[in-house]
Amino acid sequence: MKKLKRLSFNTKCKLCLLPSLAGTLLFFVIPYFRVLYYSVIDNQFRRNFVFLDNYIETVQNEYFLLALLNSLILIAVCVPVLIILALLISLFLSFGIRKLKALRASFVLPMVIPTAGIVLIWRTVFTDTSTPLPIYLLFIWKNIGICIVLLTAALTAADRSVYEAAKLDGAGSWTLHRKITLPMIAPTILFSVLLSIVNSFRIFKESYLFYGTNYPPDHSYTLQYFMNNNFLRLDYQSLATSAVLTSAVVFLIVLCGIFIQRRYNR
Amino acid sequence: MKKIVFTVVMIIAAVIFILPVIATLALSFWNGGEVSAEGYSDLLFNCFVFYPMFWNSVIYAAVITAVQLVVIIPCAFAFSQAKFKGKGLLFTFYIVLMMMPLQVTVLPNYIGLRDLGLLNTAWGIILPMIFSPFGVVVMHQYMKSTDSAIIEATRLETNSIFRIILTAVVPQLRVCIFAVVLFVFADCWNMVEQPMLFLNDDSLKTMSVFIVNAADYTGHVLFPASVIFIVPVFLLYLFFSDSLEKGLTFGEIS
Repeated sequence: MKKLKRLSFNTKCKLCLLPSLAGTLLFFVIPYFRVLYYSVIDNQFRRNFVFLDNYIETVQNEYFLLALLNSLILIAVCVPVLIILALLISLFLSFGIRKLKALRASFVLPMVIPTAGIVLIWRTVFTDTSTPLPIYLLFIWKNIGICIVLLTAALTAADRSVYEAAKLDGAGSWTLHRKITLPMIAPTILFSVLLSIVNSFRIFKESYLFYGTNYPPDHSYTLQYFMNNNFLRLDYQSLATSAVLTSAVVFLIVLCGIFIQRRYNR
Repeated sequence: MKKIVFTVVMIIAAVIFILPVIATLALSFWNGGEVSAEGYSDLLFNCFVFYPMFWNSVIYAAVITAVQLVVIIPCAFAFSQAKFKGKGLLFTFYIVLMMMPLQVTVLPNYIGLRDLGLLNTAWGIILPMIFSPFGVVVMHQYMKSTDSAIIEATRLETNSIFRIILTAVVPQLRVCIFAVVLFVFADCWNMVEQPMLFLNDDSLKTMSVFIVNAADYTGHVLFPASVIFIVPVFLLYLFFSDSLEKGLTFGEIS
């Protein structure tokens, strides 16, 4: 105990990182290396080293490519719509009429409702399954709440005195928000975008219950289906390989996000 | 005029978003073509597996949220205060990990739990979720906006890092802590894949699993269970949104 007291502030801070780091190593990092290992052997009983064979097989698998493409389209279409909608609603609820603030609850509720029941309602409303639209709408409906909560918190924390000054200078509300609000909450917007991308990979359960099969129409066959089907077939090599490839794709997306933020800050 | 148009549009949007929730509520009282509470009595009086699963959900979500706060507040504080090489890189790693889809992290989680012999135990659900990186990233973002003068002042008074965190950091992070509690609790409350993959015993499974398999149980239990499922997280949200307003009013005064 005495020794602990003599440690410098900086060392104590570093010690505070330890619990989180230990858990992350134990449940994420170390097992991830096992996954990497599984992706370069032929199967878990024979354990012959096959180098990149599994990868070549996976990237040539048309279902994997279809799944990857569909997942990326979902992100490219839904995330911008979701963020713009969430931004408009949060702006209005923060700066518009005060009494309407209660409306926020109706956008947040979908976040917590179990989808098993919702999917039944969705099925009766959306009978046309020739496009992925039902799933896209379900995704936006379910995820707008968390974005609104985050953006509203950022807007409320923003410095109001700046607005008053700008208003006195005669700035209109559009200019005001474009020139002052957006730059102020830009980090939160980026964070909401990243979070929505993560959540776009989570829309599997809903899609699965909606179509009621492991093999949905081609336009809705996403990466999650591909991996889930591999899990069911206990095909660990394909599972490990697609997990590694997916993590590589996500890693690239994050790098792009960080790059955009750095450019924006300059 | 512009305001009225905006208000009408906003109310219409709110109604569209809440419609499926209202439909769920309505359907929970709809049984074989007539209005009745039979679904609720099926669920509450005839479906004995429901209760343990409900309490499992409560216990998992509460334990994970509480322990996660104890782990992530010092961690985020350390990220903002400590100076060491590779700190930026380490934090980027947390962001990357946060971005990983469930389908990618579930496999390492499964392997880690298998090697530790924790599959089919409550720990298998609780431990990996405690170390989910989401809270650390959010907390660190808000840590930047804390007043470092207060931290410096507290450092002069005490040597204990826990006292610094408790007295100088936690009060400043109140709003952020409420937000993290809400998100983490909701996340645990909604998890379906982990209990289905990591657990075999029904006695350990959660209410979310019950709802997915609702068709297997007798009676019209799906929609009543859905309604009950919403309540805890929505109460937490109401409590949180109230505190958010209050916390921010305080900020404006000082």
